[in-house]
Amino acid sequence: MNSISIILAGFMSPIDIPTSPASMLWMFPLILSIAIVYKATKLRVIFPKIFIKEVVVLFLTISIFLILAGVGLNILVAFITS
Amino acid sequence: MAKRSDMDHGLLLLIVAILAWIVPGGGHFFIKEKKRAAIIFVTITLTFAVGLYIGSVGVIDPPGAWPWYIGQMLTTPGVSLLANIKQMDPNGEMVGIVSYGNPHDYGQIYTAIAGALNLLAILSAVYMAHSGRGEMIGSEEDE
Repeated sequence: MNSISIILAGFMSPIDIPTSPASMLWMFPLILSIAIVYKATKLRVIFPKIFIKEVVVLFLTISIFLILAGVGLNILVAFITS
Repeated sequence: MAKRSDMDHGLLLLIVAILAWIVPGGGHFFIKEKKRAAIIFVTITLTFAVGLYIGSVGVIDPPGAWPWYIGQMLTTPGVSLLANIKQMDPNGEMVGIVSYGNPHDYGQIYTAIAGALNLLAILSAVYMAHSGRGEMIGSEEDE
């Protein structure tokens, strides 16, 4: 089997993602994609340094707010169910 | 440069929109926003590919999850070809690829978000073409 077949075979069966807190880490690559594409469409001119800085700031902003939302919801659930 | 007629302008916007849908970043490339086009193409393609890798081609399921399929189709019309991929089951029959559980959900989210991001890119390319920004910046870059 050549290398291309092996790569294509990776798309024919799902990977294993258990239901665990660690599975939440899958949100970060998606947030990075959102930050990159949003800034690529938003900035008037793409200067590499400014672009990277803007992407990092947006990535951190979204990440922090999502983490805070998760913590807040967990506290709320714990409060309701206790 | 001669002023375009309204019809020519509308046709330009339509071409930009169609190119941006067929290939992520294609609309920006057409209006000479090459850096932007490259960033959009790489990011959206990678996001979609990661979604397929997580949940397999089975995440593209038009009859079973058509709202997600609409989102996925925004990435490129080529998604419809992936929906027809089949594999041989132990009985020797060709069946569609299926996936379940977390990988299926995560894969759907990644691929549909890739589509939503491409919609953003399509609108951006059309707006830039409408306002003439792409040509202006592109000609400056080419000089």
